[in-house]
Amino acid sequence: MSVYLELQHIRKRFGAANVLDDVNLQIREGELVTLLGPSGCGKSTLLRCIAGLADMDGGSILLDGKDIAALPPRNREIGMVFQSYALFPNLTVRENIEYGLKMRGIDKTARRRRSEELLAVVELTEKRDAYPQQLSGGQQQRVALARSLAVRPKVLLLDEPLSALDAQIRKNLRAEIRAIQRQFNMTTIFVTHDQEEALTLSDRVCLMNKGRIVQEGSPEAIYTRPRTEFVARFMGSYNVLSRQDALRLFGRVERAAESYAVRPESVVLLNGRNEPLEPGRRVAEGIIRSMSILGNVIRYDVEAADVRLTIDALNDGRSLPLAEGSPVLLALDEAQLLHLDREGA
Amino acid sequence: MDAPIKRTGAAPRALMLLLMIYLLLPLMATCIYAFARDWQTTVLPERWTLEWFGGMFKDLRFMESLWNSLYLCLIAVAFSLLVMLPAVFVITVYMPRLESLMKGLVVLPYAVPGVVAAVGLIRAYSSGPLNIAGTAYILLGAYFVIVLPYMYQGIRNSLLTVSAGPLLAAAELLGAGRMRAFASVVLPNIWPGVLVSALLSFSVLFGEFALTNMLVGGQIQTIQVYLYHRMGESGHLASAIAITYFVFILLLSALLMKLGQKVNGGLKR
Amino acid sequence: MWLGLVPFLIMVLLFQLIPVLSMLTGSLKPASGAGISFGFYARILQSAYYMQAIKNSLLISAASSAIGIVVGLACAYAITRFPARTRDRLLMFSNMTSNFSGVPLAFAYIVLLGSNGVFTLLFKQWGWSVFGGFDLYSWSGLVLVYVYFQVPLALLLLYPAFYAIRDQWREAASLLGASRWQFWTSVGLPVLSPAVFGTMGILFANAMGAYATAYALVGGNYNLLAVRIGSLVAGDVVNQPQLGNALAVILALSTLLAVFLNHKMTQRARRLDAAFVAGPRPVRKRRRPPRPLNAAAAVAGKEEL
Repeated sequence: MSVYLELQHIRKRFGAANVLDDVNLQIREGELVTLLGPSGCGKSTLLRCIAGLADMDGGSILLDGKDIAALPPRNREIGMVFQSYALFPNLTVRENIEYGLKMRGIDKTARRRRSEELLAVVELTEKRDAYPQQLSGGQQQRVALARSLAVRPKVLLLDEPLSALDAQIRKNLRAEIRAIQRQFNMTTIFVTHDQEEALTLSDRVCLMNKGRIVQEGSPEAIYTRPRTEFVARFMGSYNVLSRQDALRLFGRVERAAESYAVRPESVVLLNGRNEPLEPGRRVAEGIIRSMSILGNVIRYDVEAADVRLTIDALNDGRSLPLAEGSPVLLALDEAQLLHLDREGA
Repeated sequence: MDAPIKRTGAAPRALMLLLMIYLLLPLMATCIYAFARDWQTTVLPERWTLEWFGGMFKDLRFMESLWNSLYLCLIAVAFSLLVMLPAVFVITVYMPRLESLMKGLVVLPYAVPGVVAAVGLIRAYSSGPLNIAGTAYILLGAYFVIVLPYMYQGIRNSLLTVSAGPLLAAAELLGAGRMRAFASVVLPNIWPGVLVSALLSFSVLFGEFALTNMLVGGQIQTIQVYLYHRMGESGHLASAIAITYFVFILLLSALLMKLGQKVNGGLKR
Repeated sequence: MWLGLVPFLIMVLLFQLIPVLSMLTGSLKPASGAGISFGFYARILQSAYYMQAIKNSLLISAASSAIGIVVGLACAYAITRFPARTRDRLLMFSNMTSNFSGVPLAFAYIVLLGSNGVFTLLFKQWGWSVFGGFDLYSWSGLVLVYVYFQVPLALLLLYPAFYAIRDQWREAASLLGASRWQFWTSVGLPVLSPAVFGTMGILFANAMGAYATAYALVGGNYNLLAVRIGSLVAGDVVNQPQLGNALAVILALSTLLAVFLNHKMTQRARRLDAAFVAGPRPVRKRRRPPRPLNAAAAVAGKEEL
């Protein structure tokens, strides 16, 4: 599939600060791309730039072969769902969904047809004459989704649409959004600060930091192969070791790198010293400092060679949890030692 | 506070009762005086009458001052709405960084008493190119400044509670022009709140005396100025005017409160 | 978009900034000729008459604010002891009566306590001599009337502060061994103090600028700053408007200072507030916290505009 939406060299400054620093991104038709990052990384600003709600200081936005950077929001054919839903409180659910159609001068019967169609999609047919305030948060967000889809936008932007909802509703609505997105083959950009949400939802994840996209790739790739310390720390509970740390721990490390990332579950705890060593394994001695049971996983805080490591072991009942203060042997495949680039490289 | 069911103690009850009596006393006295034929050395008057109210409504100057008050306040509030709605909208939604500046301008009337404002106005407009001292224009200008804080607060709060920014953005993305978006999704949602601040402004202006008396006291009589002039002549008549004025303000505040509740209730619906 | 701001800016310029500037320059102009002169201020400082007006205004404002604060604090505490519904009704009532201000208020007090007032005559008849020395048109009379409009305002501004004192603090303090008295002196009052001083500022400014009540009650018979300014600038015999400018600047300085105090105290209160907003929000069971105080409603209590 070819590129449908392309962002080229997007820049934006607020005073001296670079909010967006040369952002480039290509999105294929029907793809769901997540912009993930800590608050203040520029992801929402980028979204507002695409929608035309914020001015850019440079760059172009090509949508379906056309540069839309100079167009006002209403001519961009872009739909957006806001964190606060932004439903019009003076209009009913149906009137909200039909609002965009009405602005385009579409006649009443066609509007009705379309709104009924979308009400069915978001399963709110019964609520068509209710006012937004009479709905729950999750229902309101579904109305907002239907409203933005009603005008058949070329791209749908979702700005942290789930962050105001309870955990359970969030999970359900997440799946629902994904299903609707696939059904309509809707090119979608989803902004979130929740890495779990990004991983479960997207075709592709773009991790942003300080106004730049620092790594992009499939959810598996971005989770299992972080390229920088920032990505490693943001994506999960990776242990990040400097080269000196790694050398102190394991004596020697084959490939030179600035620093290394180790997943907590890839370190194996050997209780005792008599287990056979496989080739390619590195071993170090350590002491359990604390442990906590997270459910199916036991999380240990282990100190070894002046380094604190987080290590997860399966809580399968086969081995008793190790007590605090007990000495342990850590084993790690050298292949599990991920090489990290210097930040920004 | 420790027990699950809190009973209000005797001391707070007594204190509140005293406060109520204290606050009601001047009002009651004026009210009784307005209905009393004569009231001298008894706890309550011996004979009652409605003649003071009758006299008041037959007094052409009273009717005229009432009319003056009504139309001056109405024009001032309407004009203020016309000027403040777009200004507060533009600042709150599009230029939030200028908000502190706006706030500074707008709260100044809180800190500058009416007497002081009157002094400045008289000096600035008694001569020179804009010689409007003693006319209704200078009074309308002064009234505009008096209601600035109320109007600003009311409109701004309304805009923020309906989150006008995102609403407008949503409407624009759905294809509405800026004007149309404002008219179709912002205005219908803020008007109850705006109406409340307009009514509040009206009642504030209706009770204004300092500026009115100093700026146009000799030329235009509002109800307050008229009351002041009648005070020395007939106590009973003045009481009748004061009570009429108070009842009017009371009705206005009751309306205000009803509307205010509706605005709050509407958001919780 | 800027277009929406233009009428607003013109109006503010014409009726707010230019008059204030004009007053300032007027007060600094020499009696004759050009240049800058502090002549009018010097004359005020040398005049026993104007100094007395300033002194009277300061004293009456200070006294009525202090009494207003004390009564207001007691009433504010009492009002937080009531259930939310009753509390809101009481506040509503107090606000309603505060509409009765200025000229009508002065008149009501004349009816009650004037030289032919109902109480005055009654007391005389009953032979209560304690009140014999009381004169409504004097210092004590003015303070009495001012207090009437200060109390509801103080109440309205102070009662929310009592909700900043959490029940759990009281419980924690008592578990730590503090008596009621110790709790109030060590935690309660310090938490209240910004609100108290801030309200003090508003009350003081309110009294300093009060014109209608004083004018209607004592007219020219009692020497007050606001009344003096009025008669110098817009009185029947306007003789020295520029002196009025200088007096007005002095009055404005005093009220600005008082409002500035309020501003500072609000900031301090907000810092205190932020300290516990950061912690977990306790669930309050019976005591509904007051609705966020609408600034417009609060200032609606301002008596004299």
